Amino acid sequence: MVFSYNWLQSFFQKRLPTPQRLAELLTLHFAEVEEIKKVGSDFALNIDVRPNRASDCFSHMGIAREISAICGLKYQNLPSKFRELKNKKAKDFVSVKFNEFPIHFTVEVKNKRACPRYSAKVITDVKVGPSPKWIQDKLKVCGLRPINNIVDIANYVMLETGQPLHAFDGQKLEGRKIIVRFAKEREKIITLDEEKYDLDENILVIADVKKPVAIAGIKGGKLPEIDKKTKIVVLESANFNPQVIRKGSKKLNLKTDASLRFEHGIDPNLTEFAINRAAFLIQKIAEGKVSYGLVDVYNKKVLPQRIKLDLNYVEKLLGVKVPKKEIKNILKKLGFQCKSTRDSYDEEDKSSSLPFAAAWVIEVLVPTRRLDISIQEDLIEEIGRIYGYDKIPCTSPISSLFLPQKNLNIFWEDFTKNILKEAGFTEVYNYSFFGEEEAKLFGYRASEGSEGEEKDEVLFAHKEEELIEVENPLSQEYKYLRASLIPNLLKNVEKNQRYFPEMKIFELGKIFQPPEQQRRGKKKIYLLRPPKSENRILVGVITGDAFYEVKGVVDLLLNKLGIANICRYDEYPNELKKSKTFWLHPQKCAEIKVDHQKIGLLGEVSPKILSRLDIKERTVLFDIDFEKLSQLASEEHEYRPISKFPSAVRDIAVLVSRNVKIAEVLNKIYDTGGKIIRDVDLFDIYEGEEIPAGKKNLAFHIIYQAQDRTLSSEEIDELQNKIIKILEKNPEWTVRK
Amino acid sequence: MTKMNLKLLKNRAKEEIEKVKDLKELNEIFNKYLGKKEELALILRSLERLPKTKRMKIGKSANELKNFLKIEFEKKSQEIKEKIQKEAEEKEWIDITVPGEKPVLGHLHPLTIAKRKVEEIFQVMGFSIIEGPDIETEWYNFDALNIPKEHPARDIWDTFYLKNGLLLRTHTSPVQIRHMEKNNPPLRIIVPGSVFRHEATDPSHEFQHYQIEGLMVDKRISVANLKAIIGEFFRRFFEKDVKFRLKPDYFPFTEPSFDIGISCVICNGKGCSVCKKSGWLEVAGAGMVHPNVFKASGLIPKDWQGWAFGFGLERLAMLKYKINDIRLFRSGDLRFLTQF
Repeated sequence: MVFSYNWLQSFFQKRLPTPQRLAELLTLHFAEVEEIKKVGSDFALNIDVRPNRASDCFSHMGIAREISAICGLKYQNLPSKFRELKNKKAKDFVSVKFNEFPIHFTVEVKNKRACPRYSAKVITDVKVGPSPKWIQDKLKVCGLRPINNIVDIANYVMLETGQPLHAFDGQKLEGRKIIVRFAKEREKIITLDEEKYDLDENILVIADVKKPVAIAGIKGGKLPEIDKKTKIVVLESANFNPQVIRKGSKKLNLKTDASLRFEHGIDPNLTEFAINRAAFLIQKIAEGKVSYGLVDVYNKKVLPQRIKLDLNYVEKLLGVKVPKKEIKNILKKLGFQCKSTRDSYDEEDKSSSLPFAAAWVIEVLVPTRRLDISIQEDLIEEIGRIYGYDKIPCTSPISSLFLPQKNLNIFWEDFTKNILKEAGFTEVYNYSFFGEEEAKLFGYRASEGSEGEEKDEVLFAHKEEELIEVENPLSQEYKYLRASLIPNLLKNVEKNQRYFPEMKIFELGKIFQPPEQQRRGKKKIYLLRPPKSENRILVGVITGDAFYEVKGVVDLLLNKLGIANICRYDEYPNELKKSKTFWLHPQKCAEIKVDHQKIGLLGEVSPKILSRLDIKERTVLFDIDFEKLSQLASEEHEYRPISKFPSAVRDIAVLVSRNVKIAEVLNKIYDTGGKIIRDVDLFDIYEGEEIPAGKKNLAFHIIYQAQDRTLSSEEIDELQNKIIKILEKNPEWTVRK
Repeated sequence: MTKMNLKLLKNRAKEEIEKVKDLKELNEIFNKYLGKKEELALILRSLERLPKTKRMKIGKSANELKNFLKIEFEKKSQEIKEKIQKEAEEKEWIDITVPGEKPVLGHLHPLTIAKRKVEEIFQVMGFSIIEGPDIETEWYNFDALNIPKEHPARDIWDTFYLKNGLLLRTHTSPVQIRHMEKNNPPLRIIVPGSVFRHEATDPSHEFQHYQIEGLMVDKRISVANLKAIIGEFFRRFFEKDVKFRLKPDYFPFTEPSFDIGISCVICNGKGCSVCKKSGWLEVAGAGMVHPNVFKASGLIPKDWQGWAFGFGLERLAMLKYKINDIRLFRSGDLRFLTQF
C-alpha cells in the first residue's frame, strides 16, 4: 500500500527522518518498505503492511503512530472540530432544514451481525466542485483519481484514518431512509463506474425504501451519486462484518479500497472520529452546514481488552531481558495502557535485588483499533520489534542430547541416486502434474465420468487407471496430478534430443492416484485424514537400442540394494501386450518381480508413442515402485574371499534356434557345473552367414574355480564334457567344439 | 707371443665394440670373440699345451680379458638399447595441449545436492528429518495452523484445490502439526518437501517449490536460540561469514513472526542487482510457534515454547550456484543439469 511522506509528516511537529532512513526504520521495526518514489515534492512509500495490521495500518494515522513509537516523535491528533447547527438530537434519525423545509433522515439496520455499527451525518448547502490542490496531490500520490470535493474528502479521510466513508446525495434517497439489509434474489445494482451487478441474499446492501443504493462496504451505486447539483450530503461511516464483505466481494469479483479494508476488519469505534473529520473538512472546503448530532446505530460497544503480561515470559520467549521500564515505554508509545497488578512489584530497583521475585505481571489495556492483539505473545511481538530484534543475542539452545533418528526413506533415496549417478545417469526433477494429452496417450482417465469405457482399455503398468484432477489448474498442461513419471521424462528426452544424441536420465519422485475406496466410485470428501494416495517411483531412461543396457542398470541397482537374488524378470502376459493402450514395444518388455509380486517394469517405449511425442531415437526405460524397493533393500553386504587357487577358462559354443532364451542355456550350464563354475560369460551371439537360417550361435566363457583346491585339467575336462552332453540332450541344440 | 696376442685382441675388440651401431652387429662381434669356436676360446684351448706356470699366468690374463669383454659388451648393449628406446619415444611425440577425453559422469540435481547439504548441517545439530504428504486437508494446511476460513490471511497462499475436496499443500508447515500430534517435546526436526502455489511463473516465481521447514520445541526455546541455529546454518551452507537479520513479519501460525534476511552473498552486502541494491536478501520466514498451533496438535501451550522456520530450497540453491532463473530447476534441460 502506498503512503505519502508529506502526509505522514503532517502528524508531527518535528521533522521526520529522511525518506530513505524512515524506510529503513519501518522495515526493521514494522513492515517492509518495498519502494520509495519521488512524486513532485512528495515521496510515495510503498509499504507491505501485513494482513494482521490492516485493521489499523491501512491508514496514514496508523503508520504515523508506528513512526511515533519507532522514532520517539510526538504524534499529534488531527483536527476534527466543526460548528454544528443547533437542532434536535436523535439516535437513529436526523432532521435538517433545507430551503426552510424540515427533512428527516432515518437509518435502519436490519442485520446487526452484518453491520455492527452505522454512523451517518447530514451536511446541507454544500458547494460541489473540484477539491483543493493539497487534497488532490495527496490522493494522486496514493494512486487515487480526484473526482469532486465531496468524494475526494471521503477518500481522503479513508486514506488518513482507514475508515471507508461513503457520500450519498440526500435528495436522491427515496423516502429519506437508509436501510442496511441483505439483497433480495434478482435485485440488481448499477455501480458508480456504470457496471451492472446481480445481487443475492449473501450480499449486504445499503438501500432506500425502494432499492439498493450501494453494495455495503464495497461500492456505491450510480443513483444517489454526488454531482454538481448536490446540496444535501448524507455521509456514511459504517462498520461491516469482515466475512460478509469478503464473501460478497468474492462473489461479485469486485475488490475496492473499501472492501479491502472491511474484509480485514476495522475497529467499530473508528466510525465516529472519521465522520467528524470528514464533516470538518466538508465544512471547511465545501462550505457545508453540518447538522447537529450523529445518527449512530451501535448496539454492542466494543471495549478495550485487558491482557496480563508476565515479564518473565517476555524474557523467556525473546531470550533477552528487556528492562521493565522499557517494556512499559514501548507499549505506551504504541497506545497501550499499562497497569501493575496487585501482586507485582512496581519499583524498578527491585529487579536487580530480586531476580526471581514473585510473578512480574502487568496488566495491559489494548486500544480497540488493535484487532490483531489478543494474547500475551502478541504483546511480546510488539515489545520485541520495537526494542529491536537485532538486540537479541544468538544463544545456543539448552536441550537434552538426543540423537536424530535415521530416516530410512531418505537414506535409500540417497543411496539409489548415488548408484544411478555412478552409472552415468543425470537426475531430473519434473512438475507433479501432467495434462490431458499425456493422460490419453498412456491410457488414463479422469476419476470422474467416462464410466462407459471398457475395463481392458486402461492397462497401464500399475493397473491404476484413474487420475486426481486439479480443481483450478494453472493450464490444461497441468490438469492432473501425475500418475506416472514417464510422460514428463519422455518430454525431457524430446526437448534434449537436439543437443544430446545419447541420454541417460532418471527421476525419483511421487506419483498420485486416487486411493482404493474412492476409485470404487464412492465419492468422499476427506476432512481429516486422507487415505494415502502418493507413492515414490523410480524411473530411468536411456536412448538408443539400449534394452540390455537398461537391464544391466537394473541388475546393478538390485545387486547394490542386496535384492538381486530375489528379483526376476518375467514376460508380460499376452493379453496385456495385445491391449490397444499398451505403450511398450511388445517384444522388448519385461516385468520385474519379487515373489510373484510385480515391483516394476523394463522395456522399450512403443514406436507409436515415440512418434507421437516426436522422439527420434529408440528409448528404453525402467519404472520401479520405490516404496516396495526400499522395503526390500538391505545394506548387508558380505565379502566373498578371493580364492587362492587358480581359475581355468574353457569356451563353449552352442547352435540353437533363434527363439531359444539364453537363460535356458545358462541355467543348464550352471546346474550341471554346480559350485565349481564361478562364472559363465556370454561373449557372443551370432546369426547370419555360415549359420543355418533360423539359428543363432551362442559363445560362452565358462570359468572354473574351486575354493579349496587347484582343479586338475582332467577334472575340468570331465565337467566340460558333462555340460556338453547335457546341452546336446536337446536334439535342437548342437554344441560346436 | 700369446701375451701380445691377448693385448692385441683386447684392443681390437674394444675398438670394434665401440664402432658397433646396432644389437645385431654387437651380437656378431660377441660371437667373434667370445663364441665357442672363436679367438679367445682358441687361445684358452691352446693353453693346454703350455707348462703349468705359464698356463696359469696366461690363463688368468685370458679370463680377465673374457670378463672385461663381457662387461664391455653388456655396457654397449645397454647403451644401444637405451638409444633405441629413446628414438622410439621421440617418435611418439604427442600434443599435450589437445583437450583430455572426458569420462561420462552422471549428475545429481542441484536441488538434491543442496537438500543433502541442508540435511547434513541440521542432522549434525541433532535434528531428525521428517516427511509428510503433498496432498493435504484444509485442516492441516490451514485451520490447524491458525489460518481461519474466510480470513484474508488465507490469501497469502494461492492454493491448488483438488476435485476430491483435498488440496496441494502450500507449505511444509502441516507436518509440524502431524509430527506434534504423534510426538512429545523436546522436538527437533526439519521437513523437506514439495509445496505448491497457484501463481504465474517468471524467472523468480514457480508454482512448485522445494521447501525446508524447521521446528524446535522444548521448555524454554527462545528467539535468541533461533538466531543461534539459523546463523550457524547460513554460515555452513554458504561456507562464508554470512550476516543475517530478523525483520517483523506476519504468519498466523507463529507469534512473534519474522522474515529472515541474509547479507547478499553475491555482492557481500554492498548492493547489486540480485539484492536490488539493498545488500539484503530475504530467504526465510520464521517465528515462535503460536499457542493455537500447539493446541491444534494436542499439546498444552503453556508447557511448551519453540520456533519454526521455512525456506525455499530453490532460492538458496540459486544464490549458492548463481542461477538466475528458478524455472531451470524443473525444465529437465540437460545443458543446465549436467553442470552440477
